[in-house]
Amino acid sequence: MSTCREVGELIPWYVNGTLSTEEAQLVASHLVSCEACRDELAQIMRINLEVKRMFGEVESIAETAKAEVIERAKGKRLAKIDLGSFLLGFSFGANYHKGKLPVRGDLRLLGRRIPLISSKKEAGND
Amino acid sequence: MAQVRELLARVAKQDDAAFAQLYDVFADRVFRYALTLLHDRHLAEEVAQETMIAVWNGAHRFAGRSKASTWIFGIARNQAFTLMRREQKAEKMPKPDLIQADPSNLILQQEKVRDALDDLSADHREVVYLTFYEGLSYGEISGLLGIPEGTVKSRMFHAKRRLAEAMT
Repeated sequence: MSTCREVGELIPWYVNGTLSTEEAQLVASHLVSCEACRDELAQIMRINLEVKRMFGEVESIAETAKAEVIERAKGKRLAKIDLGSFLLGFSFGANYHKGKLPVRGDLRLLGRRIPLISSKKEAGND
Repeated sequence: MAQVRELLARVAKQDDAAFAQLYDVFADRVFRYALTLLHDRHLAEEVAQETMIAVWNGAHRFAGRSKASTWIFGIARNQAFTLMRREQKAEKMPKPDLIQADPSNLILQQEKVRDALDDLSADHREVVYLTFYEGLSYGEISGLLGIPEGTVKSRMFHAKRRLAEAMT
């Protein structure tokens, strides 16, 4: 026979659905006969909803972060030239990556990036 | 999740397209996780970026013993603590901008729960986040944080008591 304390410790993970079948059955059978633990379950279900809602409200990571990461992943930046503005401009970049020098030139037109030059590196194995 | 493992395997072979997909799946989740630890958007963004770069450079080291997501969160956690040490202000930071409040639709109880969540220690908030937002098992959290399962449960016990108080 499981105690309220043992079951209470498992309820958060009963709610998020990650208990093993045996543990989930243990919790479920205890809940049938224990009103206090049913109240605890209801409370944790509310906490679960509130936490999801609150963390869900957090403003996402900046869109610009992705381009930076992708660029950095492609290698060490050797040079980057930016001319013009976000609406109309040109950028040219050269990176060093595993003995290769991928270069890329883009035209920026009304906020869209249009590739002009790209020497795509070949996929390799580590 | 087989799809993520597949993506990681392709990233290990320096597949740009797979990395972009992996970024879309994880960058924001890592950012939110880092925010629960650091309470600073700028630093959390830095953690997310450094984590994704580390994934790109280290995907070939993923041994498949844990879920890919747990492995990535582990990297994020290390990055966050490295930054935390650098900044040495994790616990001293001003009131967080963890949640962007919309005053028009807040009700009093939600505000109280929000405050209670913000006031939890970083250790307790982390367990709450990983359990309810990321849906990790207590075993996975134990592995990720490098603490006994009993400690995970105990942190959850204290955190939920504080949150429950705010809800009454």
